Amino acid sequence: MKYLELTIGAILVYNFVLARFLGICPFLGVSKRLGTAMGMSGAVIFVMTLASFITSLIYNYLLKFNYRGTEVNLEFLRVLLFILIIAALVQLIEIMLQKLSPKLYQALGIYLPLITTNCAVLGAATINADSGYTVLEATVFGLCSGIGFALALLLFSSLRERLDVADVPKPFQGTPIALVTAGILAMAFVGFSGLC
Amino acid sequence: MKSNSKDYLSFDGGIHPASDGKSLSEGSPVQRPPLLDRYRVVISESVGKPPKPVVQPGDLVKKYQLIAQAEGFVSANLHSPTSGKVVGIVEVAGAMGIPVPAIEIESDGKDEPCEPMPPLDWKTASAADLLARIGEAGVVGMGGAAFPTRVKLSPPPEKQIDTLILNGAECEPYLTADHRLMLEKPRAVLEGAAISAKILGVKNIYIGVEVNKTDAIEALNKHAADYNIYVVGLKVQYPQGSEKQLIDAVTKREVPTGGLPMDAHCVVQNVGTAAAVSDAVTLGIPLVERITTVTGDVVKNPGNWLLKLGTPVIKAVEFAGGVTEEPGKLILGGPMMGFAQKTFDVTVCKNTSGILLLPQSDSIAYDPSPCIRCGRCVAGCPMGLLPCLLGSVIEAERFDLAAENHVMDCLECGSCAYVCPAHRPLVQHMRRAKAEIRKQSKK
Amino acid sequence: MNILIIAVAVMAGVGLALGIIIGIFARLFRVESDPRVDLVVELLPGANCGGCGMAGCSDFAKAVVSGKMAPSKCPVSSSDQVSAIAQALGIEAGEAFKQKAVVLCGGDREQTMRLASYNGIIDCVSASLVAGGPKGCTYGCLGMGSCARKCPFGAIEMINGLAIIHKELCVGCGTCVAVCPRNVIKLVPAEAEVHVYCNSPLKAPAKRLVCKVACIGCRKCAKAAPDKFLIEGFKATVDYSHTPLPTAEDVVAAACPTGSLLTAEEHLQIEKHDPDWSAEKK
Repeated sequence: MKYLELTIGAILVYNFVLARFLGICPFLGVSKRLGTAMGMSGAVIFVMTLASFITSLIYNYLLKFNYRGTEVNLEFLRVLLFILIIAALVQLIEIMLQKLSPKLYQALGIYLPLITTNCAVLGAATINADSGYTVLEATVFGLCSGIGFALALLLFSSLRERLDVADVPKPFQGTPIALVTAGILAMAFVGFSGLC
Repeated sequence: MKSNSKDYLSFDGGIHPASDGKSLSEGSPVQRPPLLDRYRVVISESVGKPPKPVVQPGDLVKKYQLIAQAEGFVSANLHSPTSGKVVGIVEVAGAMGIPVPAIEIESDGKDEPCEPMPPLDWKTASAADLLARIGEAGVVGMGGAAFPTRVKLSPPPEKQIDTLILNGAECEPYLTADHRLMLEKPRAVLEGAAISAKILGVKNIYIGVEVNKTDAIEALNKHAADYNIYVVGLKVQYPQGSEKQLIDAVTKREVPTGGLPMDAHCVVQNVGTAAAVSDAVTLGIPLVERITTVTGDVVKNPGNWLLKLGTPVIKAVEFAGGVTEEPGKLILGGPMMGFAQKTFDVTVCKNTSGILLLPQSDSIAYDPSPCIRCGRCVAGCPMGLLPCLLGSVIEAERFDLAAENHVMDCLECGSCAYVCPAHRPLVQHMRRAKAEIRKQSKK
Repeated sequence: MNILIIAVAVMAGVGLALGIIIGIFARLFRVESDPRVDLVVELLPGANCGGCGMAGCSDFAKAVVSGKMAPSKCPVSSSDQVSAIAQALGIEAGEAFKQKAVVLCGGDREQTMRLASYNGIIDCVSASLVAGGPKGCTYGCLGMGSCARKCPFGAIEMINGLAIIHKELCVGCGTCVAVCPRNVIKLVPAEAEVHVYCNSPLKAPAKRLVCKVACIGCRKCAKAAPDKFLIEGFKATVDYSHTPLPTAEDVVAAACPTGSLLTAEEHLQIEKHDPDWSAEKK
C-alpha cells in the first residue's frame, strides 16, 4: 500500500514539475519538440532513479556509522555528497549518449549537463533523506518522480508543438505563451490533490 | 449489391450545398448551336504529353479529320470539330490561367465530315481492337482530368480489376450535362460501359446515379438489363461523383492513401466518356464535341448545349442568350471544383462540363477570421482529414507537418471551405501545400 | 578533530570511486571527433542560410574539413573570413564567384494591368495557382511578398506591388529564386549594374496591352552596345557571361523607349519616388 501511495503521489499528486515546481529549466528548454522531450525524459528518469538509489544508500549507511565505538554523524555532508554523485551520474550519461545517440546528444545540447544543477534531482534525493525512506522506497520514489517529470514533459511538448503553428499575438509568441500554458497545466494538476 | 435504386448508398462525410441550381437547366434538352466562323482547339488539354500538330497553316480539313497526333502512350489524338481551313497555331487563355497553344480553324460553313472509321461490332471485336479504336478517336476522361481513356482502360494486370463503375452522379451544383445525356442517350452510355467492361474483362458493371435524377434512372433502367449493368441509386451528397467516394459508396472498398482506383480493383468512368467510347466504336466518330451546361443566375436562357471543341466561351454564353447583368465570376466547371477565369478568352475543351456565370451578389469576397475549432470541416471532409489543423500548419508554412497529416490525399473538393463559418480559404491552403510538397520531392 | 578527518576521508573516498568509474566509462564509450570542424564553425558567419547548398553551417564546416568543398563556397563570408578559414586548415581558399539576385520585372501597380480581383491568401505561390494570378502578365512579379518574407537577410522590399532586391544586402544565397513561382528572380554576377527588367517572352503587342514598361524587343540596346545583349524574339536580356557587362553609359546610349532597360540604382529610385516616370521621360 505504501508503494502505491508513493507511486501515485510522485507521478500525479506531487508531480515534480507541475506541483512542486522543480526542474522548470529543462521543462521549458527542451519541450519544443516531442522527440527531444522524450529523450530528455529518458535521461532524467535514469539519473533520478540511480541518484535516489545511491544517495539513499550512502545517506542511510555511510553518513551515520560506528567508528571504534563512537557514533559518527556526517549528515552535514549530505548536500556535497549528493551533488557529487549526481554530477558523476550525469557525466556518465553524457559519455554514453554521445556514443550511442549523437543526434539526441546534439539536440539536448546544454540541457544535458544542466541536469546536474537541476533542483529536481537534488530535490528527490533530499526528500528521500528528509522523509526517512528506506533504500527501496527511495528508489521507487526516484523512479516515479522521473516518470512524473516525463509525463509533464510529454503533455507540455505536445501542447507546444501545436502552439508553434497557432496564431499567437506577437507579444506572447514563444516563451510567454508557453509559461501561461504551463501555469494552466499546473492548475489542472491541482485536481489530483486529495488523492493521497 | 442490389440493383434496386430505392437504396441510397453513400460515403462518410460530404456536404449538402443549400441550393443546387440544377433547376435552371435540368429541364432543357440538349441543343445544337449554330456554326461559328472560327474554332480554336486547344492542343494540350489532357493529362500527359501534348499531341503533335500534323496540319500546316493553309491546309484544308474536314470534320473528324486528325489535326494532332498523340505522342507516346499517355497522350490523346485531336480531331477537327468542323470543315474548313487551318489558320495556324495561336495562343489562347487556358483554363488554368496560363496561355496555351491552340490550332485555329476557319470554318467554311459546310461542316462536312470526312469518312468515319469503320464501325466495329463490339460483341465480336477483340479487346485490343476496341482499345486501339478508342485511342484513335482521341477519347479522354470528360469528367475532369481529361486522362486518355486508352490508358485508363489498360491498367497493369497485377491490379486485378473486377469492377467498372460509371459516374452518373453529377454532384456539382448547377451542372446538368450528364443528367441530360443519360436521359436522352441512355443506350449510348450503356453500350460504352459494356465496351469498356469488355476491354477490361470485368463482369461487375455499375452506374451510380444520384436519386434526385429519377427520370435518368428510369431511362437507364429500361435498357440496363440488356447489357448486364446495375443502376445504383446514390444519396444526394457532395462529392458523390468523386472517384474514391463513388467506389466507397458502390463497393464499400477503400482506395489506400496515395493510391488510385485501380488499387481498389476498380475503374471509374464518366458517363460522357462512355458515350464517346460508344460513338467511337459503333459509329466510328472521334471526340470533337461535348454536352456543356451554360448556366448561372445571370444567364438569360440557361441550358445544355452540344458544343464543338474550340468554341470560345463568350460565344457559348451568347448562344444562351447572353447575360442579364454584369457577371461577378466566370467559372469553367462547377462552383465547387471549377476554375475561376480572369478573361473570356477561354475555349471549350474535352473536359469543360460547365460554363457558369455567377452574379455579383454571389461572388462576395470574404475576409477570413480565426478558426474556432467548430469541427464542421472535419465532419464534412470526405477523405477523413483534419482541414482545420492543416489550415493552421500551412499558414505557419510547416509543410512537413502538413505532409504528415496527409494533405496529399486532399481532393480539393471544397467541402471544408464551404462549411467553414470563419470563411477560411482552406482549399487554397491545401493547393499551396501540395504545390510546395511536389516541388520539394522533385529536388 | 576526528570528525573533520573522517569527513574529508569519506568525501575523498567517494570522489575517488566515482572518478575511477567515470574514467572506465569514458574509455569504453569513446567517440572520435575532429576538433577542426568546431574551429571552422567558429570562423563562419553562422547565418545558417543554406546558400552553400548544405543543410547548415556545421554541415558546411564538415564538408570543408573533409575537403569536399572550398571555403569560398559560403556566399555570406567576407574574403577575410574565407582566408582565415583557409589558413586555419592549411588549404586553398578557392575561387570566389559572387552572385546577387535581381527581380527582372518592372511591372508595379501603376505600370501593369490587373485583369481580375483576387480574393485569397496573400502569397505568390497560392495566387499563381488561381488562374495564374490576377496580373495581366503571367510572367511578371505578383507582388505578394513571398520572397521578401523568405529572405534570411531582409534584402527584399515590396514597393508598389513589386519586389525590389537591395544589392548591398543581398548575399546570393538563392532562397528567393527557389520561392518565386514565376522564376522572375535570377542570380547574376555581383558586378552587374544594368538589367532589362522584363521576363515575358510573349509578342510585343500582347505585352504592351498589359504592361507599360515591357520590353518590346526593338533592339536599340543591342545596336548601342553590340555583344552585351541577347535578343530572343521579343525580349532582350543582358548577356551576363560576356565581359565587360553593360554600363550606365550604354543605358543612356540605347535610349530604351519603354523604360525596361535601367541601372539597378535608377530602378530603385523610380519605384521609390516617381511611379509614373515613363510619361515624364517621353
